[in-house]
This record gives sequence, C-alpha cells and structure tokens, in this order.
Amino acid sequence: MNKTLLVAQREYVEHLRTKTFWIGVLIAPIGIALVYTLMFLLAGKTDLRKYAVLDHSEGAWVSKVIDRRIADDDLDKILGSRKISTEERRPLLDQAKAKLSKLPQGHPLRELLTAMVSSGVLAEIDKAGGWDKASSALKARIYGIVVPWALRVSQSEKQRVQVTSVATGMAMKDYVRVPVPDEGEDTEKVLNQKLQKGEIFAYFVIGSDPLAAEHHSKYVSNNLTDFKLRSWYGDYVTKVVRERHVQRLKKEKDLTPGDVAAIQRSFRFEEKKLSATGEEEAVVESDKVRKYAPLAFVYVLWMAVFMAAQMLLTNTVEEKSNRIIEVLLSSVSPTQLMHGKIYGIALTGLTVVGSWALFFVVGVKLAPSLLSGSTEAQFAKLGLDHVISDPAYLGSFLAYFLSGYLIYAAILVALGSVCNSLKEAQNLQQPVVFLLMVPFVVMFPIVGDPNGTLARIITYIPLYTPFAMMNRAGGPPPLWEYLASSGVILATLWIAFRGAAKVFRVGVLMTGKPPRLGEILKWLRAPVS
Amino acid sequence: METSPLTRPTYTDALVLHNVTKRFGKFVAVNDLSLKIPKGSIYGFLGPNGAGKTTTIRMVMSIFYPDEGSIEVLGHSSAEQVKDRLGYLPEEKGLYKKMKTAEIVAYFGKLKGMDASTANLKARELLTRYGLGEWLDKRCEAMSKGMGQKVQLLGTMIHDPELVILDEPFSGLDPVNMEVMRDTIRSFKQNDRTVIFSTHVMAQAEELCDFIFLIHKGQKVLDGPLSEVRSGGDHGIKIDYDGDGSILHRLPGVERVNDAGKHAELFLEPGRDPQDILRELVGKLTIRRFDISEPSLHEVFFRAVGGHQHVVETEVRS
Repeated sequence: MNKTLLVAQREYVEHLRTKTFWIGVLIAPIGIALVYTLMFLLAGKTDLRKYAVLDHSEGAWVSKVIDRRIADDDLDKILGSRKISTEERRPLLDQAKAKLSKLPQGHPLRELLTAMVSSGVLAEIDKAGGWDKASSALKARIYGIVVPWALRVSQSEKQRVQVTSVATGMAMKDYVRVPVPDEGEDTEKVLNQKLQKGEIFAYFVIGSDPLAAEHHSKYVSNNLTDFKLRSWYGDYVTKVVRERHVQRLKKEKDLTPGDVAAIQRSFRFEEKKLSATGEEEAVVESDKVRKYAPLAFVYVLWMAVFMAAQMLLTNTVEEKSNRIIEVLLSSVSPTQLMHGKIYGIALTGLTVVGSWALFFVVGVKLAPSLLSGSTEAQFAKLGLDHVISDPAYLGSFLAYFLSGYLIYAAILVALGSVCNSLKEAQNLQQPVVFLLMVPFVVMFPIVGDPNGTLARIITYIPLYTPFAMMNRAGGPPPLWEYLASSGVILATLWIAFRGAAKVFRVGVLMTGKPPRLGEILKWLRAPVS
Repeated sequence: METSPLTRPTYTDALVLHNVTKRFGKFVAVNDLSLKIPKGSIYGFLGPNGAGKTTTIRMVMSIFYPDEGSIEVLGHSSAEQVKDRLGYLPEEKGLYKKMKTAEIVAYFGKLKGMDASTANLKARELLTRYGLGEWLDKRCEAMSKGMGQKVQLLGTMIHDPELVILDEPFSGLDPVNMEVMRDTIRSFKQNDRTVIFSTHVMAQAEELCDFIFLIHKGQKVLDGPLSEVRSGGDHGIKIDYDGDGSILHRLPGVERVNDAGKHAELFLEPGRDPQDILRELVGKLTIRRFDISEPSLHEVFFRAVGGHQHVVETEVRS
C-alpha cells in the first residue's frame, strides 16, 4: 500500500477506536437539538404583551380594520380558510364541524365554532365559493362573531392557553388588545399610568389623518429592546393605510410622485418612553445603546471566561504531563495546589479584563477631545458615559467575570487533573464547551426582554447565572434578583470547589487511561480524608 | 519556617512503617509492609517494575494515604506535619520550561517554607556549586536532560531536608552526572541526613547503601544491612573472561549463570568443587579473574524475586 495511505489509515483507525471520537460525533447533533428544543419550549413561554390602541382616525377605522385582519388571520389558523389549492379545500362548514367534534366540552373554541355554525354564515360562505370569494358583508358577519369572542377569550389566561394550544401561531398567543378607557382629554394620562403599573406593555396612538405624511402617531413603551409588538402591529397599519391610499388613488386619473411615495411609505410610529416620574419622553439613541450594551458585555465576558478557564486547563494538563505535579505535591497539599492555580489564573484573567474595562473607560472619556464637530455630537448621542458610570455594567462585568470564571475554572481544573495529554483534555472538555454555548444562544432573546420568563429561567440555572445577570443589565433586574442570583452563584461555587477538590486530589496523580464518569462520581461521593 | 533543632523531637528512626497496606481497587499495591529506617543511613529500595516502590514512597510523602497501617516520619505520625523537612525527587522528572533555573530552584525552596531572599541566594549558590553557574538566568527549556535533572535534584535539597527520598535518581544520567549524584548522596549521609533511594541498578545500591529493602508484588522480600543480606546466600564464583560465553551454560555441575558478556557469576550444584569448573574452563575461554565470594546483589535480587524474567526486565531498564 502507498505509505501515505498507510499513515492515514493508522491515524483514522486510531481515532475511530476512541470513545471520545464517537462522543464527538454524537454530541454536536444531540447538543444542537437539545439547545433548540429548549429554545422552542422557552419561546412558547414568551410573555403575553398587552397593548392598547388609541385610534383618532375617523370612526377609528384603522384599528377596526386591523382587528378584523387579526381575526381573519386567527380564523385561518383555526379553520384553514385560505388553503391555497381549491381542490384540497374542504367546505368551511365541514371543517368547523369536524373541529367541533374533536373539542372537549367547555373548550372556549366550541363557543366560537358553535356560534359560527348555527348562524349559518359558514354555509353561505361555502355557497359563495369559499373565503376568498365571500362578499365583504358575509365576512363582516364572521368578524362580528370572531372579534368580540377573541377579545373576551384573551382576557382569561386559562382560556387563551386552551385556544392557542389547539391552533398554534395565533396572534392571540402573544398579543392581547385591551380596551382603552374613555377619559376624554386624560385618556393618554390614564394609559401612561397603566404602563407605569405594568398593566399594559405598550400603547399605540394613531393620528386623526393616518394617510397624511405627518400623521402624529406614536408608540409608547418602557421596553425599548423588544420591538416585536411594534413591528407586528405596525405592519398591519402599514398594509391597511396603503390599501386606503390605493383605493383613493383609483378614483383619480393622474398619479403624482407624491402619491407613489405615499403608497410606498411604511407607517412609522414615533417612539416614546415614560420617565421615572411618568412623563412621556422621546426615545433617544443613548437609551438604545444602554439597552443593547449588555450584548457586547456578555460577548466579552464569555470570551474572557472561556479564555481564562482554557488557560487553566492547559496549564494543569501540562503540569501533569511533565510530572512537575509530584514535586509540588511533596510540598503542598492537592487542595492548596488547586486553589493556588485557580486564583493565579483568576488574577491573570482579571488583569486582562480589567485592562479592557480601563481602555473602554479611558476611550470613552478621551473620545470627545479627539473627535470634532459632528462626529463628537454623534458620539455624545450614544451616551456611552452613562454606560461606564452605571455600576450595573462595568461593576457587574468584573464581578460576573470573576464568578463565571471561578465556576468554570473549578470544572475545568478537575477535568484537566484526570487527563494526561492536551488531546485527551480537548476531547473531554467538549461537553463543557457545549454547555457554554447556551448563553450565546439566549443572548438576544434575553436582551429583548431582560425581566421576562426566559431571562429568569436562565438566571437560576447555576452555570449560566453570571452570563444571564450580565445579559439583563439593561433591565435592570430588581434588587432581590441581584441578591438571589448572588446566592445561587455562591452556592454553585461552594459545590463546584468541593467537587473539584475531590476529583483533583485523586485525578492529578493518575496516569494511563482517564477515569470513567462512574469512577469520578465515586470520588465525589467519597468523604474528604 | 523550620523550627530550631533544639525544639525538635529527637528520633532514632527517620522513617517507620507499621503494617502498611495500600490498594487501588482490587489491586494490592503494598501489602502489610513494615519497615524501619535509621537516622543517618542510606537505604536502598529495590524491586522490579510495579513492585510497589513508588507507591510506598508516595505514601511516605503523604501524597497517598495508606488504607491500613501507619507511617511515622521524623518522629511524627504523618509526613504532613514535617513536609517542609523532607526532600523528594520523583521518578519522572519535569520542570517548568519557561522558568529560569535559579527561579525554579528558589521556588521549590519557598514551597518548603524558606523565606524568599534566603531561597534566592541559596538557589544561586547551589547551582553555581554544581557547575550550572552560566545557567542561572536561562530558561529550563534550553537545558539538556541531564542538566534538568541536576536542577531538580537541587530543588529537592535546597532546604537542607533531614530525610531525602530519591526515586530512580540515576536513570538517564551520564557517568559524570552519576558521580555527582553519588557524591551528593554520600554528602547527605556525612551531614547525618537520611537518604532513601530506589533503583533498578544493583551495582549502585551495592556501592552506596547501608541497608537494602527489596519489595516484590507489594510484599517485603528482603530487608537489612547490605552485608547481612548478601551473606544470606550461597557463595558463587565470579569470573572475568574473553571468548564465547555460551559455553558457561553447558558446564557440568553449574546450576545457574549470570552472564554479562565479559564477566559472569556461576552458582554450582551442591557438593561441586569450584576447582573442577576452573579446569573445565581452561582452554575454552581466556580467564582473567576467578574468585569465590559472597553473591552479588544481583543474585540476591534474582533469588528473592524468583524469576529470571524480572531480572532481564530490570537489566534492560537500567
């Protein structure tokens, strides 16, 4: 055989024979599947967004049309009213009856379907040739049933969940429109109060002439990173307004460039937030920077933790493989050695991270004097000086670097202690690296909703606490959460260090085959002598 | 820091093992071992590979803990109390490659409780005395293997330990450095320090040791002063010769031969006369020396271990 092939064959077979190779083969697909399953499960848990719409358009036509559209879309989710192919399409009445027969007694959808079937409107729509061909009068009758039903059902958490679990993807799952109290001139004030109390997530105000270029519409919310509601509702408004434009233009003979522009324009809401005193104020650039800054911090934090923990692993394996460890152990105890190594590298990491932080601070302070004119103004708009002066950012960055590093250091030093070569260590650390991917995957969703369910769940998974808390800095989380998560971190550290010490003292003198997981568990259970 | 010699408890035995047993899973590495090492002696630990030498040493250093039995070091019930008064050179030697030689020797001293300035001075002094003066501020990675081992030996003795344990100190050394090692071991003894060293090379043990301890499969086989250990066996014939040594194996009346190519050791069947053997050899080989003496340690070892295989293995390793 060709000698190159011979060498290649030996290499290949050698790797194929190792267990870690097969773990490596399996771990990526399984890990990715797990992470995404988790994401999917948690995504289903996005918090309900309650919103109000204060519609000043004539007869509130905009929001009325949109309510119908939403109902229309949700109806499609329930009955499949808009299946593309005509052959496949079953009469809506049959669909409704079939669905009805499957639903248990007392299910809120039964009420809707029964009402639609008994009103005879579905039969009429079928006679007319399906949903697309139904007259607007017929559709209006359907909306007359669906819209009030949806408003009612969505007020009850239990019913809402029942409905959305049968028909997935309904808007009702994520967004619920709450009625606007009629307080005349004070309506907005009342809405602001509701916003402040957290009764609603946001509210829209639609100007009296939505077709005009200056329509004075606005979106008021205190969460500036989660723009899903704004863009979801905004899309509906854009569509509805655009259709109205087209309708109006159909009657005119000449199209001006202005008309075309008006059609192309997407409907923009002016963004507002409430100040601490409940006053409405414009959203400026620096607010957004503050909200998104945690992303950058988490990213750097992740890199720093990973880098330092990696350094420790390499260093432990090296010491073990060149046997210096035995000399050390004749002078110090394994626990002293382990702690010494961990703290030494913690200092190295802190020096690196601290100097990064220092560069950032100095950079932000110096930048105005180095920039000129408009760039300086632009820079000032970013409001980075708020970021550096807020302890929720730099302060927690250093604190969470230290705690995050210490947790992973304990795990990796124990891992390193049982390995004889870097190659072995690299294989064994794969699962840890995988665990470390999670903070990356959830980084964006958490910044979007720093005090939401996902953020809270991740916060209390011990391995992710430091990342999650950094991630939530834009929120910021309430004081009790800072305390609770610090408790979680301290408990995790205590457990991780104790466990690591037990593994380390046995593992560090082992030669030959790395131990099986079962053996390591046995060491962990053994009392400290 | 070290306590002054006056306050130290006096001890006559540097190390005492009482019925020590150590198991790894089902494997018994050391089995019911008792041993007494008098202060100021050089004690040789002999035994084939895997016999339990290193495990015993590690227990003495309290790197491992015995499952049964107890260990008394320098009069204390555990080595942990006297860690700073012990010196240990493990079998497999390594240094921090990126550290400078003087730094690393001083570091080992500081780990043993020396204060920084004393350790630094002593490290430089020792390195210079051992001919590594040019290497003081060079990194360990630049040194040859032999020099590296010397540096490590210095790290073991920088704090002037009362008990020094050297695991295979001669392996990998060239003749010059071997002589340095031998001198060092002797100098420990002269200063009333106790030395334990393990080896596979019988000649080194014969040259240096006051006492011999032979362990095989975790059990003590021989233990005592070198002269006693040797006198326990039958006398053998030692010859130096030139020629084809294979003839030695075919001599009548010879029970066993340890043939090293140029010299050999012959053991006779009971009742045989050595003079007959000499007559047989004349004319077949050129005999340069012929004497009758106590068996070599090699032979003692061989008989005690009771299998030729081990000896072959041992010889190959050394």
